Amino acid sequence: MKLFTAFKLACFGLWSNRYRVLSAMTGVVIGMFAVIVLTAIAIGVKDTLMKQMGSLGAEQILVMPGRVLDTANGQKDILSGLTSVPSTLTYEDALALKDVPNVKTVTPQLETVNFVNYGDKTIQSAIVGTTDQYSRVQHAKLAEGRFFTKEEQFAEAKVVVVGNNIHDSLLGKNGVPEPEVNGSADVEETKTWWKRILDKLLGDNVSAQENSLVGQMITINKESFEVIGVLAPNATLGSSTDNNVVMPIETALVTTEMKNLTKMIVETSSLEVVDEVDGAVFNSLAANHSEIDFSVVKQDQMLGALGKVTSILQVMLVGITVTALFISGTGIMNVMVMSVRERTREIGIRKALGATTFEIMMQFFFETLLLCIIGGAIGIGLGYAIIEVWNSNIEIFALVLPMWAVKLALYTSVAIGSLVGIYPALKAASMKPSKALRFE
Amino acid sequence: MIELKDVRKHYRSGNLKSEVLRGVNLQVKKGEYVAIMGKSGSGKSTMLNLLGTLDVLDAGEYKLAGKSVHKMRRGKRVRLRNEEIGFVFQHFQLIPNLSVFQNVLLPLTYGRKRLGKKKGRVLTLLDEMGLLDKRNQKPDRLSGGEKQRVAIARALVNEPGLILADEPTGSLDEETTESILSVFDRVHEQGATIVVITHDLEVAERADRILRLHNGVLV
Ligand SMILES: Nc1ncnc2c1ncn2[C@@H]1O[C@H](COP(=O)(O)OP(=O)(O)O)[C@@H](O)[C@H]1O
Ligand SMILES: [Mg+2]
Repeated sequence: MKLFTAFKLACFGLWSNRYRVLSAMTGVVIGMFAVIVLTAIAIGVKDTLMKQMGSLGAEQILVMPGRVLDTANGQKDILSGLTSVPSTLTYEDALALKDVPNVKTVTPQLETVNFVNYGDKTIQSAIVGTTDQYSRVQHAKLAEGRFFTKEEQFAEAKVVVVGNNIHDSLLGKNGVPEPEVNGSADVEETKTWWKRILDKLLGDNVSAQENSLVGQMITINKESFEVIGVLAPNATLGSSTDNNVVMPIETALVTTEMKNLTKMIVETSSLEVVDEVDGAVFNSLAANHSEIDFSVVKQDQMLGALGKVTSILQVMLVGITVTALFISGTGIMNVMVMSVRERTREIGIRKALGATTFEIMMQFFFETLLLCIIGGAIGIGLGYAIIEVWNSNIEIFALVLPMWAVKLALYTSVAIGSLVGIYPALKAASMKPSKALRFE
Repeated sequence: MIELKDVRKHYRSGNLKSEVLRGVNLQVKKGEYVAIMGKSGSGKSTMLNLLGTLDVLDAGEYKLAGKSVHKMRRGKRVRLRNEEIGFVFQHFQLIPNLSVFQNVLLPLTYGRKRLGKKKGRVLTLLDEMGLLDKRNQKPDRLSGGEKQRVAIARALVNEPGLILADEPTGSLDEETTESILSVFDRVHEQGATIVVITHDLEVAERADRILRLHNGVLV
């Protein structure tokens, strides 16, 4: 067997047809590029979600409005509870939970949307009423100033801590057009993540230190509030605090119409009592509600829900990969079949000069295989480069490319190459030399 | 060297069966130079392909250098073709994206002998054909006569006992025809057996013996 000769001939064949080969390779390149980048996005999304949802600590319990359904296998389907339902949870419920044994803190959150005004700027913002524990429980760091104290909370102090985006928008730092106050509510007043990316890329970034709202008065619902702190940007999707204005819950109850809580975070005194407290919290709430219109969720249940999100992402990924492979695979096969046809005479000549069927077969098989591997490697390299560029420029949302994905992509290009290489190789090998030489 | 006994070959296209060779008998001695003439479509190329083991006969016997080719398995036939037979075709049949040197080297790459020392033989042959300075060029940069000399060098590189030429001068003008024919003379003098197919009586007359293919038989 002259495998090495066939391999050398394949390399040479590719090289002497390099322009055609390049165009054939684009399919694999794009396919593998897509697989790599999409994997990185999917895993990045998963990790981000993990950070965000998993920010519920192991010793914390989340109380949400709405009833979480139990799935067939007895697990709680937390995603079903994420759809918005009118909340019946009240501040009284939260206060009652404080008396449950082994409860360390209860952090209720009221939430509404309202207009916030500073100078000539008016923007729409999420207003959150909560306790002094919020920044700790939500892992929200302060960029400037301070968070409100327990004393301020119970004194119904008119103080607010603003999210990073709200802060910059009120100071007119991020070029967001002023909203029409009488306009529709769904206009995006605050900066979206992609706008921030754009700013970042354009270098249009203004440091928060230059100009600060701390110590200034802003107006919400015709009442004046003093800004005492600014939350640091926090890079989680969805529940980011960047677009929030946070005030003491006592203040919120008297200055707004809000009554019902969007969620409560119950902190237990230790990990060992979580299960026990979970039941007690449920019972305490049930005693004050006519029906079970709330949910009590622990971290492990949250992680179970994340598992579901992850499996959806995985199914998506498999789908994308299979599509990419199918497209690039058929593309390569077409090109190789064409190449075999065009080189009929070459095949005839080689056979006349003593090439065996096996040698011809291996020559074309290796050509396809190499084409796929080289194309795959280029696609992987390009994908990797894009991910690197993204990650070194954009902090909001990190793309994560695990080694297994690179290996998988490489193995798959070998697999497609092998699979798709069989047909053209057999076609080439089965040509009769006497006929092939007559081919014009 | 060559012995054909009652060789038959037909082609089938659709349900139309055309019998091209209807009992060909031929004996060529070692070192003999034989020309085969015949009208276009009379089956000359078909016969040459059988002699060159590029195709298999339907019936009859073919012995080459004492071996029964018609009984051989494909693998053995391929080796015999590589080691014992050199082809020269009307349309040169050079591989366009290989250089002159690489084209001549081809039979050696498929041979069983080690390549290393054989490269010298390629250069010697190219030198004999006056093509040494063109060894790195692609075939499409050469004239017809040069192309055919590359093809002859390639046919000779494995030192085969039998040279089969199918209208080797069919695409050449008179002057180049003469130069190619003198190459054949030289190869013949060195002891090779040559079977050449031609339309051209002048070409055929250089051979020791002229045969005609007519109605599927040799006369
Ligand atoms: N591979 C083939 N399939 C079908 N018919 C063929 C094939 N090769 C040759 N023929 C037919 O066989 C006849 C003889 O062809 P050929 O041997 O090429 O003749 P020559 O070389 O004498 O011109 C022609 O009629 C040709 O059309
Ligand atoms: Mg012919």
